[in-house]
Amino acid sequence: MSKNIKKNMRVLKTLLSLRFHGMTVFRLDFFGPFFVDGSLFLIQLLAFGAVYANVDSIGSWGRGEMILYIGSFSLINALNMTIYFFGVNGIPGKVKSGELDLYLSKPVSPLFRLTFENITPGSIPLILMSICIIGYGIGISDIELTVVGTGAFIFWILLMTILHYDMEVLIRSVSLYLVTMARMEQIEEAGLGLCMTLPGIAFYGVYKVIFYLILPYGIMATLPVQSMIGELEPGMAAYGMGVVLFFSVLTGVVWKKGLRHYNSASS
Amino acid sequence: MRKYWEIAKTYMKAQMVWRADVIFNMIFTISKILFAYLLWGIIFRQKSTVGLFTFHGMLSYYIVSSFLSQLEMADGISGEIHARIRNGSFSKYMVIPVGIEKYFMAMELGVVLFYLAFDFLAAAVWVVIFRVRFVFTTDCRILLCAVVMAVLGMVFMVQLNYLLGLLTLKYQGIGTFLMIKNNLAALVTGTIVPLALFPEIIVNAMRLLPFYYVTYLPSMLLTGMLREEALRGLLILCFWCGAIQVSINVIWKKYSRKYDGVGI
Repeated sequence: MSKNIKKNMRVLKTLLSLRFHGMTVFRLDFFGPFFVDGSLFLIQLLAFGAVYANVDSIGSWGRGEMILYIGSFSLINALNMTIYFFGVNGIPGKVKSGELDLYLSKPVSPLFRLTFENITPGSIPLILMSICIIGYGIGISDIELTVVGTGAFIFWILLMTILHYDMEVLIRSVSLYLVTMARMEQIEEAGLGLCMTLPGIAFYGVYKVIFYLILPYGIMATLPVQSMIGELEPGMAAYGMGVVLFFSVLTGVVWKKGLRHYNSASS
Repeated sequence: MRKYWEIAKTYMKAQMVWRADVIFNMIFTISKILFAYLLWGIIFRQKSTVGLFTFHGMLSYYIVSSFLSQLEMADGISGEIHARIRNGSFSKYMVIPVGIEKYFMAMELGVVLFYLAFDFLAAAVWVVIFRVRFVFTTDCRILLCAVVMAVLGMVFMVQLNYLLGLLTLKYQGIGTFLMIKNNLAALVTGTIVPLALFPEIIVNAMRLLPFYYVTYLPSMLLTGMLREEALRGLLILCFWCGAIQVSINVIWKKYSRKYDGVGI
């Protein structure tokens, strides 16, 4: 086990070094993800600023809770962009072109390499920006910070980052079974786009089933915020952990079975 | 004009190749309406009006605004020019006996005409599904103003995207900037939240910019609001279309010789 971890750490170090070499070729694009996603979340802050200029609360959430929500989603997205997005996002293309062969023939887990081969340091400022937004939200909503509360918030952020990763890999694993998966990416884009701007507390009935269970983007930033403001009930916390466990297992199974369907360049 | 109409017809027919895309584009307009329905549904439980809007007025605004923003597909133009200049295949547009900007205008016309009926159908379906008591203007003059403004708005967006694409001749890598532009456009055209909800000073500043008249004001006019701004809006938008055309001519004259047809 420890031998395996050591090997993976060595691989990770090599991937990082290769990534830095690659990035020196297109230096202008280095901070691209930061500017693009940073502008996206700043625009959301402005949009909800306009909404809160006209209303006192959205459901039970005031301005501070909403800023905290935007900051939390931004942080999950920032971790995604920094660590694994650009690697995982390339899976369908590699399946289609047959380039996945190169990953299968190496003595390291293909998913591990795909996950970490495109780490993007240019997105790190996005993490810092998200922390600032979260701090601003905490300040406005007058939340008293405790070690336990902060620890719980970080725990939920990390858990939801794993869920985000699971969803990304799961959706892109479809390319191992089907010729085209553009529709799946469209569904992901629409679901993520909606839940980035709409907190889970706004969902009810069939919408809640869709965005809490089938495409669980609705819980991603909602649960961390609810844990921070003391609104998270034990039942919902257990449900959140159950969803992450379920999707992690499902992703593992779909990916492994998908590799058996992979027919090299003819996929 | 005939050759440009042929280009428009070609692009209209080309859309038929990707029939599934047409259907899914229609279906995914639901995300904007669903956002409005859930967000404003929860807000309007506590208040009967927000700014100028009632609940059904707000949903009508989002349906019209979503319809117009869905029709406006000019952002692909800047991406196309950017990619082709970078890989050296922009020559494709330089060797054909048509004006390049007019070619893109005709292309946009073909795509818009094709999608018009489908987007209209999608909007009607959402009105029924979400049981919206649809608010729509009954004044023919305002209706005409809104339609002309929406068309001018699309022309402006084609010009803007063409201009941004041409900037690749000077700056080479503008992909990041184009993505930021798309994010900003969603805010300043009022497709995320109606601009009327922003503080007065910001709205006044936005009135001087063209984006206010691309989607937001036509949507407000079509839902029976801000009638007094219709004529002024048309004049301001005409001014911006003229101003951006001058910029396009200057940029093209100055930088078109930098294109070497080789790519980066």
